[in-house]
Amino acid sequence: MRTLDSSETSEISKTQSSEMPGVVEDLFRREWGKIVATLTRIFGIERLALAEDVVQEALARALQTWPYYGIPENPSAWIMRVARNLALDQARREVRFRNKQEEIAGFFERSFGDPPVAQDEIEDDRLRMIFVCCHPEIPQEAQVALALRTLCGFNVSEIANAFLTSEAAIAKRLTRAKQRIRAARITFEIPAGPELTARLNGVLQTLYLLFNEGYKASGGDRLIREELCHEAIRLTDLVAGHSAGNRPQTHALAALMYLNAARLSARTDSEGHILRLKEQNRSRWDKSMIAKGMFHLAQSAAGTEVSVYHLQAGIAACHCAAPDAKSTNWPQILSLYDRLVELDDSPIVALNRAVAVAHVHGPAAGMSAVKSLRDRRELQSYYLLYAVLGEFEAQLHHAEAAATYFRRALKQTGIASEQHLLRKRLRECEKQMASAVTAS
Amino acid sequence: MPTTSEYLLLFRGTQWYKGLSPAEIQKVMSRWRAWYSALQTQGKMKGGLPLLSEGKVISGARGRFVTDGPFSESKEAIGGYFLIGVDSLEEAIDIARQCPGLEHGAVVEIRPVAQECAASEFARQNEGRYANA
Repeated sequence: MRTLDSSETSEISKTQSSEMPGVVEDLFRREWGKIVATLTRIFGIERLALAEDVVQEALARALQTWPYYGIPENPSAWIMRVARNLALDQARREVRFRNKQEEIAGFFERSFGDPPVAQDEIEDDRLRMIFVCCHPEIPQEAQVALALRTLCGFNVSEIANAFLTSEAAIAKRLTRAKQRIRAARITFEIPAGPELTARLNGVLQTLYLLFNEGYKASGGDRLIREELCHEAIRLTDLVAGHSAGNRPQTHALAALMYLNAARLSARTDSEGHILRLKEQNRSRWDKSMIAKGMFHLAQSAAGTEVSVYHLQAGIAACHCAAPDAKSTNWPQILSLYDRLVELDDSPIVALNRAVAVAHVHGPAAGMSAVKSLRDRRELQSYYLLYAVLGEFEAQLHHAEAAATYFRRALKQTGIASEQHLLRKRLRECEKQMASAVTAS
Repeated sequence: MPTTSEYLLLFRGTQWYKGLSPAEIQKVMSRWRAWYSALQTQGKMKGGLPLLSEGKVISGARGRFVTDGPFSESKEAIGGYFLIGVDSLEEAIDIARQCPGLEHGAVVEIRPVAQECAASEFARQNEGRYANA
């Protein structure tokens, strides 16, 4: 069953480029992912680089000719056709690929038809590629880099920008990933039977990581980070839409991504400063994404399993469903966090739970929830711990204690937008302290 | 005297786009397309075409030597050209500066198209007279 078409996703979540009438914004990236996957099946996974070269060249041909002759009526078919010819050239040149010629020609013929009968084949190939990229034999950070490269068409410098690391580091990760593919004899196929569940879990985990990398508000180019979120959504949609990946857990992951990404653009003001949930203009939340998120959330309810994705999607849904900050169903959120801490013992989840506790039972209760955090030591250098404690103290009208926490939080973060918010809170506390002095 | 002169913009380098990502290629392509169309709309575009990098080089008496492209210096190879009609070299330079490939390492060469030279103009105008003599 297909749930969502990937082109729909990118249309809804992004504005169309006005530079190029007739061409969807992400066309080249989309075509890259599709054709690389299929050529990889034909040439063999160990010749991944060859598939990439062929598609790169096909796109370069478009760059060379479209400016002069105009945009072809069917841009994707044009790119496909050029890729086919280049792949056939390659097959003729290399003896070991001679027998591939028929396969190449056959595949591309099927993909030109209307409707293209190769649609399912393409989907299968892309899913195979996802399973290769997210193979447990490949270190996880290399998995993400490989997925961005082969499935999403990012180049080394784009991946480096997204992860705030050097191009050399990313290049190394990609090389290592490709070596692992060969060394571990990873096959280009969709796992079946009992293996499928474990492998699918790995895929979801990597996609979750990719999404989080884009979602967390730490430094870097905001647009690139949002792009990571959109790519993660697109890939998760692809998995959810394929019979091998259509599981409640996959839908839960998709729901959590949509319901969080829907609020991305409202998270900052026009100057890029972070807005707290209660300060956000909720009319800027993306309603169609919320609707998709809710749809996936409903799909995720099939079966009895409750995963961390289910709980996080549920929490995000509570926020999305509230017309204003006041009407947020905090008791419901707290009960979801109560279950989440049982599955995920990360101190950050526990810290978030403490915020929910404060909303339901008041700041003093929130404070003691933080104090009883088992692994508080791990959080010692985490600025959010102090930011949260500062908020609680401020709500208790302990301006001086709050100010101390905010100053400590300021020391722990180097991110300008976070610092800006903390400084604002600090000033408010200092003002309160000053007026308290005047009053007494 | 015509008020506009013709200039040939030669786009040198066929390697600069090799490292671009699909998204970057699409961006450069669409900007290049917009640039071309704008010149057309303004009536300044006299013609432009892309050139493939394969080809042959002919040299020697009676074309004795035929060698294969692509040309050894791919940085120098011409990937395409615009023929534009503008008022001045300065205007041609301004237009060349808008080439979307520049920021990725493409090079634009501007060559003024020579007007017919005085001697040959004289010859043409007097062609009939000498023939009848």
